[in-house]
Amino acid sequence: MFKKILFATSATEASDHAARVAFNMAHTYDAHLDIFHVLGVPTRGFSQVVLDVKTKEKVVLDDEYVAWVEEEIKVHYTKQLETTKKYSIKVAIGLPHREVLRAARELKPDLIVMGGSTGGDEDSVYKKSMVGSTLQRVAKVAPCPVLVVNRPAASFWGGMSNVVFGTDFSKASDAAFQFALKLVKALSCELHIFHALDISNMQTGRILSQDEIESKIRESLRRIRGRYISEIKGISNYSFEVWEGIPYVEVVKYAREVHADLIIMAHHTRKTSQKDTRLGSNIEQVIVRAGCPVISINR
Amino acid sequence: MPEGTFCNKKPIETEEALKALLGDTGGKQYYEEMLSLDVDRDLLWKTIQNTLKSRLKTWLEICAHCGMCADSCFLYLINDQDPKQVPAYKIQSTLGEIVKRKGNVDNAFMRMVMETAWAKCTCCNRCGMYCPHGIDMGIMFGYLRGLCYQQGFVPWEMKIGAGMHRVYRAQMDVTDEDFVETFEWMVEEYEEDYPGLEVPVDKKGADILYTVNAREVKHYPEDLAEAAILFHLAGENWTVPTSGWEQTSLAMFAGDWAACKMQVEHVYAAMERLKPKRMVGTECGHAHRATVVEGPYWAGRSSGKPPVESIHYVEWLAEALREGKLKIDPAKRLKVPVTLQDSCNYVRNNGLKDVTREIMSYIVEPGYFKEMTPNKEHNYCCGGGGGFNGIGLFRPQRNKALITKRDQLLYSGAEMVIAPCHNCWDAIRDLEEEYEIGIRWSFLKPLVINMVEIPEHFKPKE
Amino acid sequence: MYDFVTGPLFWLSLGICLIGMLVRFILYFKGLSWQLDRVAYKAYPIQGLKGAMTSILRWLIPFGTYGWRKQPFMTVIFFGFHLGAVLVPLFLLAHNLFIEEKLGFSFITLNPLLADVLSWTVVVSAALLALRRIALPEVRILTTSYDYFILLISVAPFITGLLARYTLGNYTFWLTVHILCGEVLMIAIPFTKLSHIVLFFASRAQLGMDYAIKRGGMKGKGMAW
Repeated sequence: MFKKILFATSATEASDHAARVAFNMAHTYDAHLDIFHVLGVPTRGFSQVVLDVKTKEKVVLDDEYVAWVEEEIKVHYTKQLETTKKYSIKVAIGLPHREVLRAARELKPDLIVMGGSTGGDEDSVYKKSMVGSTLQRVAKVAPCPVLVVNRPAASFWGGMSNVVFGTDFSKASDAAFQFALKLVKALSCELHIFHALDISNMQTGRILSQDEIESKIRESLRRIRGRYISEIKGISNYSFEVWEGIPYVEVVKYAREVHADLIIMAHHTRKTSQKDTRLGSNIEQVIVRAGCPVISINR
Repeated sequence: MPEGTFCNKKPIETEEALKALLGDTGGKQYYEEMLSLDVDRDLLWKTIQNTLKSRLKTWLEICAHCGMCADSCFLYLINDQDPKQVPAYKIQSTLGEIVKRKGNVDNAFMRMVMETAWAKCTCCNRCGMYCPHGIDMGIMFGYLRGLCYQQGFVPWEMKIGAGMHRVYRAQMDVTDEDFVETFEWMVEEYEEDYPGLEVPVDKKGADILYTVNAREVKHYPEDLAEAAILFHLAGENWTVPTSGWEQTSLAMFAGDWAACKMQVEHVYAAMERLKPKRMVGTECGHAHRATVVEGPYWAGRSSGKPPVESIHYVEWLAEALREGKLKIDPAKRLKVPVTLQDSCNYVRNNGLKDVTREIMSYIVEPGYFKEMTPNKEHNYCCGGGGGFNGIGLFRPQRNKALITKRDQLLYSGAEMVIAPCHNCWDAIRDLEEEYEIGIRWSFLKPLVINMVEIPEHFKPKE
Repeated sequence: MYDFVTGPLFWLSLGICLIGMLVRFILYFKGLSWQLDRVAYKAYPIQGLKGAMTSILRWLIPFGTYGWRKQPFMTVIFFGFHLGAVLVPLFLLAHNLFIEEKLGFSFITLNPLLADVLSWTVVVSAALLALRRIALPEVRILTTSYDYFILLISVAPFITGLLARYTLGNYTFWLTVHILCGEVLMIAIPFTKLSHIVLFFASRAQLGMDYAIKRGGMKGKGMAW
């Protein structure tokens, strides 16, 4: 299922929970792990001075410095690397999201593993000139699924047995479903299909009556059956549900209910705008709150 | 020592030499060697005799020493009105001296000249507007940089930059393959959002030939995508060349005229090969100046114009907005106080002051556009022009220079500044990093993309 | 002595002055190179001419440019000096009587009171210009003895002229000295910075052409000097 995993890390504690998952998966699925780290942002037009993302200091880039950073990464993950058979460490300069995507294009991994957004508003200055976090920008256009481990609580120790697939019946969700099917088959997991019925005022413009809600629930269940259940072949353990509420809340609740080890959803926010950064789309909220890793698929 | 390993009179012409020089971190050995670099006095005087003609000669002679240029120069103003920063003094004590002494100057003098030419002047040409005789000291410093480069007294990063152009025909080590690959990659990323988005490569007879800044390829490829999207939405028949796509010229900042010639001829060759109706450049000031304004002369074109009508990105954008090829959704216009940076290379030095303001009228909610003081062709240099942004040795002077722009921004009351020029954009970014005034800054492309109305047939199908 | 300065020396100095100015003016334009200057002078003659004219005329008007407006004090003393320095030598009654006699024609003449006012303004402005050179650091660093010398030989005819006009001391003496000063000035013009009398126009024309042809003049309203 996963032969090549690209693990984008900040090589600090902030990425440790994502690291746990990445290394775990590499062991479990005997995958080659590409550990990728963006060490700095070029500060001056074309000179070799780079702003180190960790120390926030300006350093002059040369082969020595790169080697030193690579060594640091090795040291940070010493324990995990002891039991990892196939791996490589790559360090790059540039805007993180761009370099992660560039690495993904080159290395063609089956999966990108990342931690959630690090840092707040007081963070390095390049963020001020860009809208959207590294995560948003990578998940939006990555050429492969992106697995996000946002909180320490979201990292897991063992294998996967319960997978939740969240859908909104969009085309992107269909693609996500295909992936979910593949994964569930390959890893022999239970598949739980879930749709959250959005009853917030924003969506409908008014408060729905209970009858209306229940009829919509029935309709959604019908849609799930038609769209997805018909495609399920060779999977014995599956279930599906529709709950009403604020979508991301319901997804997180449902995942907790079925003891999910993984949530798979489609990422289809069209634009990363200043507004959305704070509210986040549903998937972003799920990523932030889920008690397990979330895989985001955009194509 | 006449010629050092790194610091010498030979330009960088090979990849090995370039890598070697890059390896000298910060130019440590380079600058050490410069301390004992000989001055080729014969060559210096001979060059001056061959190239210093009526205009420059008269400028040097006729300076009335009136000092009116002093407070036109932002470096004079920001350095507490240090008399040594008076433009006339700066040029007379360097080029004027060299001419008076008929080239009979020494290593220490030339190092002083190097510092004056690259740390005390950004060649913004503002002083020429305030001199009664019309003496343009910015131009003289450009000429002086040429003399310095020839002698090898050039800042480390400038020598590398000129070398990059000689080796790659681009300001960074970006090959033609990198360029096309990156552009195609960007289009792939955005294809879903904009069905039908493509980047035509080497199309003959297109309406627009688009040229870029190599930095966009290396570090900000979204810019390429944004350009493609805007051309796509405007329904333009456009293309990019596989070769001759780099519009910038660090060689111009370095004073390497031969490399300047090679660079622009490379772009002109693309124009002649593909025969577009027009060439549109990206949002970069010195790229426009080098390729469109000065370029024709380096290439020996007596018309003073490139082979094909060439315009700056703001000219294309203004035209697209004016003709309705791109329509702005009025609800999405900028509703924060916004000001506009007037980049010297295409505002003061190519008359586009009103074009940029026309664009403002479309994208900024009325009442929110705040002019800087002074503005238009009288605006001050961003503080980073002429290579200042990139030279590590002169970083402190550059950071001081940024204060001028910082104060202008604060005084304007704007929360955001639009800077359609890579150098100005960088300078303002560094200004914010250094002084943290809370300003936001942007190119035009990302702003316009967020507010443009997408025609039905270009919308993705659900 | 008087006959000498009003005779052969007059012709000599006038000749040197006029021919010298012409030569410098012509040599300037001949020495312009479209390649080295990077301006396509010949390609756009009309735009070039318009640009040259605007560039010259705006600067001939007090406060006519941003440059003049930025330096009001300098503008006042500058024009105070130059107005009289140009008008009085050419249009003073006494001078015109002289050249009528020598050359057979004369120009219009100034009202004597006006001539007096202009001459005094020249002297006072010259003094203030000199003071400015001493007082302002940005001017002081540029100033050399040569600059004072030029100022001196420019204002000497006016001082001596006024001395003669008010008949202070020996009239003939001051008149002769005045004429001598004037001739020294005329001879100096082509060989010193005083050549700016023609080169100001030449140099401004060049920059005007530069901005009109190459640096944006053909793209809109043109340079706002």
